[in-house]
Amino acid sequence: MLEHLGRTIQEERLPAPDYGALAEKFRSIVGSEGVSAGGADRLATCRDYWPMGTLWFLEGKAPALPDLVVWPRSSSEVAAVLKLAAENNIPVTPYGEGSGALGGAVPLQGGIALDMKRMNRVLKLDRDNLMVTVEPGLNGSRYEEYLNRHGYTGGHFPQSLRCSTVGGWVACRAAGTFSTRYGKIEDMVVSLEAVLPDGKVIRGRKLPRTSTGPRVDHLFIGSEGTLGVITAITLRIWPYPEKRIYCSYTFETIERALEAIRRLVQAGARPAVVRLYDPAETAHHFPDCEAAAGRVILVLLFEGDAGIIAAEEQLAAKLAREEGGLAAGPEPVEHWLETRFNVGLASKLFRQGAVVDTIEVSTNWTNAAPLYHAMQKAILAVEGTALASGHYSHVYPEGAALYLTLVGFPAGDKREYYRRLWGAAMESCLSLGGAISHHHGVGLHRGLWMAQEHGKALEALRMIKEALDPQGIMNPGKLGLGEVKKWPE
Amino acid sequence: MAGINRELLLDCAICPNMCRCECPVDREFGREAVSPSGKARLAHLLLEGHLDWDGDLLEAISSCLGCRGCRLLCPFPELDLCEELLLARTEARPAGMILPAAVPYLNNLKKFGSPYGARPAALASPGSQNPEVLYFINCTSQANHPRSQQIILELLEAAGVSYRVLDQYCCGYPAQIWGDMELARQLAAENSARAAQSGAQLLLTDCPECWHTFTARYPEWGSELSLPVVDTATFFLGLVRQGRLEPGPLGEIGTVAYHDPCIWARVAEICAAPRELMQSIPGLELREAQPAGRETRCCGGGAMFQLTFPEQSAGIARRRLEEMPPAAALVTSCPFCRENLQAGGGKVLDLAELLGLAVLR
Ligand SMILES: Cc1cc2nc3c(=O)[nH]c(=O)nc-3n(C[C@H](O)[C@H](O)[C@H](O)COP(=O)(O)OP(=O)(O)OC[C@H]3O[C@@H](n4cnc5c(N)ncnc54)[C@H](O)[C@@H]3O)c2cc1C
Ligand code: SF4
Ligand code: SF4
Repeated sequence: MLEHLGRTIQEERLPAPDYGALAEKFRSIVGSEGVSAGGADRLATCRDYWPMGTLWFLEGKAPALPDLVVWPRSSSEVAAVLKLAAENNIPVTPYGEGSGALGGAVPLQGGIALDMKRMNRVLKLDRDNLMVTVEPGLNGSRYEEYLNRHGYTGGHFPQSLRCSTVGGWVACRAAGTFSTRYGKIEDMVVSLEAVLPDGKVIRGRKLPRTSTGPRVDHLFIGSEGTLGVITAITLRIWPYPEKRIYCSYTFETIERALEAIRRLVQAGARPAVVRLYDPAETAHHFPDCEAAAGRVILVLLFEGDAGIIAAEEQLAAKLAREEGGLAAGPEPVEHWLETRFNVGLASKLFRQGAVVDTIEVSTNWTNAAPLYHAMQKAILAVEGTALASGHYSHVYPEGAALYLTLVGFPAGDKREYYRRLWGAAMESCLSLGGAISHHHGVGLHRGLWMAQEHGKALEALRMIKEALDPQGIMNPGKLGLGEVKKWPE
Repeated sequence: MAGINRELLLDCAICPNMCRCECPVDREFGREAVSPSGKARLAHLLLEGHLDWDGDLLEAISSCLGCRGCRLLCPFPELDLCEELLLARTEARPAGMILPAAVPYLNNLKKFGSPYGARPAALASPGSQNPEVLYFINCTSQANHPRSQQIILELLEAAGVSYRVLDQYCCGYPAQIWGDMELARQLAAENSARAAQSGAQLLLTDCPECWHTFTARYPEWGSELSLPVVDTATFFLGLVRQGRLEPGPLGEIGTVAYHDPCIWARVAEICAAPRELMQSIPGLELREAQPAGRETRCCGGGAMFQLTFPEQSAGIARRRLEEMPPAAALVTSCPFCRENLQAGGGKVLDLAELLGLAVLR
C-alpha cells in the first residue's frame, strides 16, 4: 500500500532493528490487537498538525513512517514495551491525537509509534480534594464532559480541546483559553506517573505542595515524549462555575488596551478569558460589532462565584474607561464562544496553495506591544507573506502571550519560504527577549532555536536526557535535544 | 450522491480532526487511521494515486458507522464525510475487493435477499389489496426480533388501518455499504416494482436505514418509490392524535429512557414524534440520555457493524449505555440500535413494542 509514498525527512536508525521478528515480541506484551504493521496505521501516525507535514501531505509524501504502531492499555504494558525497545535499540515516539503543531509526534527515525489512545480511562475522581486522575490518552472534550457530568470543570479549553489528549497537553505544556483564571496545564498538574526509557515506573505523590527536592515527575511536563511516557495524570479541578459574565471593550490602540489589562490582572482580578485582537483580527472576527470599527477589541469572560466576578467586572469597566475603552457588550464574547473551534479556513487556504501557520510567544508587559509590532514587521518582510495578524491570548500578572496567524503565498519552494518565515519570526522574538513558545511547544521545528532560548540550561537538559535515555530511543530529534539530519536542509 | 467531492474530502483530510471527540469509531478503536480526518487522508491519497488498494486500506475507510456525529462539529456544512467515504469505497475500489468480514453476509444477501440468511416464513397474513399502508419488513427485525413486527401489524389492525406486507427483499442498504452496487440496484428495482403493484397509499417502515435508502438512494438508483415513505413513530402518533389508537397506562414500566437512533435524529430529523408518542402513554415518565436528540451518539449498529466489526460494535454500545439514565426500560426505534443495546445488557423495547403494551392490553 505504501510502495509509492515518499518520505521527506526520515532518518536511518543504525543498527537497523529486525521489525518483522520483533513485532511478535511486542504482541506478546500488548496482545495481537495492540500491534500493527499495516500501512493505514503507519501512515496515520506519520505526522501531526505541523504545517510542513500538511504541505508534504498535499504532495503525497510522509515526513517519516513508523515501522510499527503499538497500543498499550496500562502503565505495565508501557514499561514492558519500553524495556523491549531499549534492548533492541528501537526508537519510540508517543502519539496522542496528533494535534501538535510542530512535528513533535513525527517518528523521525521510524520505530514505534506508541499510540496512547487506548489508555483513556478516568481512574479516580477525588471530590474531597478536588482532584481527578486520568490516563493520558483521554480526549480533551471527553475529559471535560466527564467532569461536567459530575459537577466540575477542568478549566482547560485549548482550541484543540476536541482533538487532543490530556497526555498531549501535559507533554506539550499546553494552555487553554481560560488560563488567566485556571492557569496553564503546569498549574493544573498535581502529579504524574511516567515510565522511564528503561521501563522503570515513577509516581509523583498527589499532595498539594512539597518541599522535598525537585519534583521529578514534574520534569515530564513539557518533555514532549523525549524522557519517557506519561501514563497517568492527577489534575486539579474546580466546581462547575456558578455564574458567567461576558463583556467586551474597544480601544483606540493596542497599547491602551494592554495597559487596562495589565492593571486589571495586577490588581488581582482573574477573568477566565482575556483576548485582545489587533485591528486586522478585530475586523476579521467581529465584522458585526459597530463599536469595534477601526479599533481593537478586548473580550473578557468572568466565571465562578457570583459576588467575586461581579466585583471583577466592575473593576474591568472602570479600568477600561480610564484607558479610553468603549463598552461593546456581551455579543462579541458570545460570538467568540460560538466560533472558537472553527478552523475551517485553514483547510481552504492550504488547499488553495497557501502556507498557513500560527506562532505563539510570550513576554513581559514592558515588551508586550513592541514585540507584536516587531514580529509582525519581520514576518511581513518575508517575501510571499500575505498576512500577519495577531492577538494577545493569555495574560498573567507578569506579562502576556502573543499569538500570530500567518498566511503566505510563496512564489517558489514552500519549504524554503517556511524556513525563512520562521527564521524571521524567531529571531525578532529572541532579539526582544520573548520566549519562543508560550504553549505549542518545541517539537521538531522549534528545536532549531532552543539553544538561543535556553543557553547553558539546554546543556543541562541534554545531560538529564542522556542520563535517563542513554540510547536516545525516546522521540529522537525533538525538543532541540539531539541532532536532526534532514530538517530544515 | 453525485460523485466524490474531492475538494471537500481534501478539506477534511487537512482538518486537524476537529470532530473526533464525537466519532464513536474514533473513541472505540483508538486508531488514528480510523479517525474522521484519518479516513479522509487515506481516501484522498488513494484517489490521488499515492496509495495502492489493499485490505488494510479498505478496512480503514470502511470503519465508519454513517452516524454523522462528525457533522455536529464540522466547520463545513456541505461535507458529509460518511457519504464521501462510501463513494470512495463504492466508486474507486477495484472490482471484487470486499471486506472479508462482509463476504458471508453478502453471499446471504444474494441468495436469500437478506444478509442474515434464509428468511423465516412470511408474517401472519399478507394483508389486503390496495391497502392504506404497505408495511416493509426489515431484515434485521425479522431475523432477530420478529415479535416487534407482529406488534406493528396488530397496532394497524387495532386502529382499523388496512395494510399489506412487503417482505421479500432487503432494501439494498447492506449491499451498498459493502460496495456491491449492482446488487443494491437490483434489490431496489425489485422492491420498487412490488411497492407500486401493491396499490398502497404509503410505505411504512420501522428501520431508519431502510427509510434512508428508500428516500435518498432509490431516486439516485433510478428506482424511486411511487408512494411516500413514513416512519412508525410519526405514523402511530398520527393515529393516536386521531383517537384511532388509545394508549392506556403501563403496569410495571413507569419510566423509560429513549435512545435516539442517529439516522432518525440527524438525517430524518425525527426527534419530537417518538417523544410525543411516549408521552401519550398515561403516567409514563420519559428520561433523557446525555446527549440526546440531534446530539445523540451511535449505538455501534450503523453500517452493519454488528456483522463486520462485532467486538468494536459491542464496545460502542457499552459506551452509549453508560450515557443512558436509569429507567425501567430503554426504548429506541431502530432494529440495529435495539439489537446492539440489548446485547450490551438491559431491557430494550422498540417504540412500537412499547406502544403495543399500552394499546393492546
Ligand atoms: C486547531 C489547533 C488548535 C490548537 N490550540 C491549542 C491551544 O489553544 N493551546 C495549546 O496549548 N495547544 C494548542 N494546539 C496544539 C496541540 O493541540 C497541543 O500541543 C496538544 O497539547 C497536543 O496534544 P495531542 O494529544 O494531540 O498530542 P500529539 O500531537 O499526539 O503529541 C504531542 C507531543 O507530545 C508527546 N506525547 C503525547 N502523549 C504523550 C504521553 N502520554 N507521554 C509522553 N509524551 C507524549 C508526543 O510524542 C509529541 O511529542 C492546537 C493545535 C491545533 C491543531
Ligand atoms: S468531518 Fe469536518 S470536523 Fe471532522 S475531520 Fe472532517 S472536516 Fe474536520
Ligand atoms: S459518520 Fe460517524 S463513524 Fe463515520 S466518521 Fe462521522 S462520526 Fe465517525
